[in-house]
Amino acid sequence: MLALIEIRRRKLQFGFVTGVVLLIAYLIMMVTGLGLGLNQQAGTALLNLNGDHLAYASNANLSVIRSRLADSDVSEIRSIPEVERATPLGYVAVVIEYAPETSDTAAILGVIPGSFAEPEVIEGRSIAGPNEILIDRTWTRLAGAGVGDSLALPVAFDTRTFTVVGIVDQGYFFFQPAMYVDLSAWQAIVFQGEGAQQPAASVVLLQGQQLAGRSGAGWQIVTKQDGFENIEGVRAQQSTVDALRYMGLLIGAMVIGVFFYVITLQKTALLGILKAIGASGVYLVTQGLLQVLVVSVAGAGLAVGLALLTEATVLSSDSIPIRFTWGAIATAAISVVVAGLVGVALSARQVTSIDPIIAMQQQ
Amino acid sequence: MTILQLHDVAKSFGEGSQRVDAVRGVTFAVGRGEVVALAGPSGSGKSTLLALAGALLSPTSGAITVDGKDITRYGARARTRYRRDRVGFVFQGSNMVPFLTARENLLLVGEFGGIDRSALRRRADELLEKLDLAGVRDQIATRLSGGERQRVAIARALMRDPALLLVDEPTASLNLELGIRVVDALVNEVHVRNKACIMVTHDDRMARRADRLVEIRDGQVLAG
Ligand SMILES: Nc1ncnc2c1ncn2[C@@H]1O[C@H](COP(=O)(O)OP(=O)(O)O)[C@@H](O)[C@H]1O
Ligand SMILES: [Mg+2]
Repeated sequence: MLALIEIRRRKLQFGFVTGVVLLIAYLIMMVTGLGLGLNQQAGTALLNLNGDHLAYASNANLSVIRSRLADSDVSEIRSIPEVERATPLGYVAVVIEYAPETSDTAAILGVIPGSFAEPEVIEGRSIAGPNEILIDRTWTRLAGAGVGDSLALPVAFDTRTFTVVGIVDQGYFFFQPAMYVDLSAWQAIVFQGEGAQQPAASVVLLQGQQLAGRSGAGWQIVTKQDGFENIEGVRAQQSTVDALRYMGLLIGAMVIGVFFYVITLQKTALLGILKAIGASGVYLVTQGLLQVLVVSVAGAGLAVGLALLTEATVLSSDSIPIRFTWGAIATAAISVVVAGLVGVALSARQVTSIDPIIAMQQQ
Repeated sequence: MTILQLHDVAKSFGEGSQRVDAVRGVTFAVGRGEVVALAGPSGSGKSTLLALAGALLSPTSGAITVDGKDITRYGARARTRYRRDRVGFVFQGSNMVPFLTARENLLLVGEFGGIDRSALRRRADELLEKLDLAGVRDQIATRLSGGERQRVAIARALMRDPALLLVDEPTASLNLELGIRVVDALVNEVHVRNKACIMVTHDDRMARRADRLVEIRDGQVLAG
């Protein structure tokens, strides 16, 4: 009762801390959401691939950009007994001018039509010929293109016109909206010139058990997750975001902890009197915990609301790479509550060590 | 019948040249239904004696028994429980919880456990009535006058029906007329409820309203 009545009667003071907790929780949610959003841009399309391993050229250092596999590599990889299914996948970044003077980069992925590397089409149909293309929703929103439109892609020193036959929902591949063409069309785009050896694929997508770590003369296999984490910038991005998140949590714990430490100090005289008339240290610490719980749960709860509101308004456009998931929101909210409880644990010692004799020393 | 018995109680603070002998070999008893006024100049050891009787301090030597039990042997938890159940304190300063109303300040003692709360509500209303506080029962403590605050403090000390009341200069901040009214209310409660009470005061006019006067100088009892 004491803890709750105090909150009710000192609304300004407790409202202020609740506001601080709210802002910290919201900040952590934004940072976590930014991490998620950036990761999505880094490669949802890669993570969405219907396989569990990827084979890269061994000299590519696990970079899809640099990886080029020859026919012989692909057939060697296919012949590994543990490989259940394998399909070549080509990747190349192209700049597409989708309106006069307006262009953007897209990730062109070459797949064999009908193979398990081909994504599910959410509108239109799959590719059936070398001049057809599937585009991702993100590109549709960016460039306004839809089923039936034409796209001019640079092929050798010319452009070739592709017809959009379907829309997919795979997201980004390597920070670029994913597009899917016939593997032969990809080969035409990355054509090395007469006489040079033509690549068969960038990587091979694999299904099968215990393939990670396998390697041959020109290739090596890693898990899809490893492949994702080796996308240039993903690791650095992830550790930056994590550092910001932990920083936010630390600041949160400190602010909440210091606040309760200060109000404990302010109340030392009162706590002394309560002890003198029979309150136990456990009772007083429990009241403190209750207050922190109320304040931090209220702050975190309001932050969840604010995050949802942000998601519904500001983030409904694609320009800000922040994505909220329930997991991220819940993690941030729970962390802030835990940080608060850690904070109060620090003032618990303070409370239990108050000597009730101070009740007699006040005038 | 004796409730509180101090036997050759001494208390000193500090060590060596810093040592202060606040209480030196005090022996006296307080019986049921008796108000003892403890008088003496400032620094003579009155508050220290009160703190010893209320288990806020442990004596350097000597025995303090309450209802025959030696409270100096109590551990930390037993002391907390003793203060909660057996003692009613009224301190010198403002000892209200500032954000609670007069009535809530009384009900507060139910928070610490070991008592039936519905009985406490009845008791709180009864005490508020008796001490002329019914009109300010829902007033926040900081809005109460000095006299009202002291009477709330007395009412709170009586809430759990303690055997022993320990009161430190209850009228220090009040004018004479108000002071006498507060002391009379206190003395009346002690008589009616058959409690033992030590009231520290340096004011003769207050001391005269007690049943007995114990004078203390330099930590020693002069007359009893
Ligand atoms: N915690 C303490 N530490 C050191 N000296 C103390 C302490 N408490 C009281 N004293 C000393 O003990 C003596 C008696 O103090 P006190 O009991 O407060 O006197 P009174 O209440 O009669 O004015 C004083 O000299 C005081 O300075
Ligand atoms: Mg004193």
